[in-house]
Amino acid sequence: MPQAATVASATTGQGKPPGRTGWLLLAPLVAWALAFVVAPAVIMLVYSFASRGTLGGVVYDFTLDNYRSVGDPVYLQIVFRSIGYAALTTAICLLSGYPVAYLIGRADERWRNLLLMAVMVPFWTSFLIRTYAWVTILKSEGLLNSLLIQLRFIAEPLEMLYTPGAVVLGLVYTFLPFMILPIYTSVEKLEGALIEAALDLGAGPLRAFSRVIVPLTSPGIAAGVLLVFVPALGIFAVNDILGGGRVDMIGNIIENQFKTARNWPFGAALGTSLLLSFAAIYFYVNRRQGAAAVR
Amino acid sequence: MTRFASLALAMLVSLFAGAAPSAAAELNLFAWSEYIPQSVLDGFTKETGIEVNYETYASNEEMLAKLLSGAAAYDLVQPSEYTVEAMIKEKMLLKLDHAKIPNLKNVGKEYWGQPHDPKLEYSVPYMQGTVGIVVNTEKVKEPITGYADVFQEKYKGRIVILDDALEIVTWALASQGLGPDQVTKANLEKVKPVLTKWLPLVKVYDSDSPKTALLNGDVDLGIVWSGEAAILLQEQPKRFKYVLPKEGAHMFIDNVAIPKGAENVDAAYKFIDYMLRPAVSREISKDFPYTNPNVEARKLLTPEERANQASYPTGNPKLETFRDIGPVAADVDKLITDLKAKSGS
Repeated sequence: MPQAATVASATTGQGKPPGRTGWLLLAPLVAWALAFVVAPAVIMLVYSFASRGTLGGVVYDFTLDNYRSVGDPVYLQIVFRSIGYAALTTAICLLSGYPVAYLIGRADERWRNLLLMAVMVPFWTSFLIRTYAWVTILKSEGLLNSLLIQLRFIAEPLEMLYTPGAVVLGLVYTFLPFMILPIYTSVEKLEGALIEAALDLGAGPLRAFSRVIVPLTSPGIAAGVLLVFVPALGIFAVNDILGGGRVDMIGNIIENQFKTARNWPFGAALGTSLLLSFAAIYFYVNRRQGAAAVR
Repeated sequence: MTRFASLALAMLVSLFAGAAPSAAAELNLFAWSEYIPQSVLDGFTKETGIEVNYETYASNEEMLAKLLSGAAAYDLVQPSEYTVEAMIKEKMLLKLDHAKIPNLKNVGKEYWGQPHDPKLEYSVPYMQGTVGIVVNTEKVKEPITGYADVFQEKYKGRIVILDDALEIVTWALASQGLGPDQVTKANLEKVKPVLTKWLPLVKVYDSDSPKTALLNGDVDLGIVWSGEAAILLQEQPKRFKYVLPKEGAHMFIDNVAIPKGAENVDAAYKFIDYMLRPAVSREISKDFPYTNPNVEARKLLTPEERANQASYPTGNPKLETFRDIGPVAADVDKLITDLKAKSGS
């Protein structure tokens, strides 16, 4: 779709390097990124090759033991579990978030802002409080069970809390807006004319959707997938609260190394491995996007 | 040109905006969250004019990690007994001048002579507690006397325990007749089958607020901190019971200590003496009903508080403090991580 690509580049001003004022405006962001993103990552990299001191400090010798431990089946099983949950969350967010984003994007001007606000209002509340709210809803004497018992749908309360299902629910709830908003931005840029053209040329609504709309909104889908999958991989609070501490993910293991086990080098090795996997996923998705845009 | 200059100026100014002059007299307190009432801190400031900067942590290891990183200089920390032992070994604490703490006489005699700091040279007891079993007597009718009674198949999915690898391992060791001073790699292998049987029965791991799951009715049995149990007994005395496991229970003593490198040592001494006053210590007990080591403060408690079986257990329970286990902590964490992952989902 070359027309879409040129439209995109015209509006984003790609291909023009920033002038002096541009660089000056960017400077705080670059400095912030260097200090708070690059520097800690480098420190973590250095730690990952060190060993654990007797009291849990860091002894600076060079060892690959920590990376060997990362491959230990004990931890690999948790890595795979984290990937599984993150992938499932991303899939559910995509399937449920896309229709919502599409509706908002194609809605009337008057409704659009209201609907967007509805998606974003939960962000105004602390993420932790929203997760604990689910505890109140799902617990045995909670709101959902009480409602179902009142309506005579069930006789005994259902065990919903402290299950893997509760964790997935919490994760989807937390990350859904991150899927809806990027897809919405792509949908909003959709030119109705293209869809009409496809229908005129004989495509049924299903084919118009799969052959025209989805490829056109693929930047939004890609962004949404990245914004959900990557943080979901590192999550530790939602599964700790809603899973009853039973659904340990890679985030919890890393947390343990820095707090209870006091094995910072191993935690750093886990963190670096995670960071490298994120980078790999990002580059893969980016390349596929780039290839799609050129097509 | 002017746009460039004004932008550069704005950036320079924002760099210095953060720098502010430090307060006159202050105390940098690094303590457990949910352990020091705000009224106690306010009372201290009102009397001495010293501002208290209260930062919190949720585990001894978190506190140690922060201190070791050298990020900030704290004047007062609140380590548990096994952490005090580790910190003394690593020479991280200031030796205390008892002459500056006249109220130290209020501390009960049984708190002297403990293995981690027998002469209280480096630490002063703040609160003591136990880790024991809470039973929902409405749901569980059989007698529960120890760990073995809790971890039975019929209670599967109805148990909450602390999310603390060292605690869990020590309970398993106790059930095999081993003490908290015997946490070794060999003994960890010995208790692995015990833990493999126990952990799949657990519904919730929670160190922050284990009473929640018990109050909600999501679980019927729990192995929790005595302070949490005491609150349960206060709120619903007919529904809950606190039992110290006969195989042996963890008695923890949380202390205050002055780390080396503290900048406001005098303020720290003042606070320690202040908190040992009977009235102040009694105030702490009101919000956090652990076992108060201050015998003068105990005299000021109400009869209900004094009778609370979780705060002041009667009988002759088998109690043991934890020891510093050094590098074995990593193996303990790995074992529990592994078993949790295999038993969870």
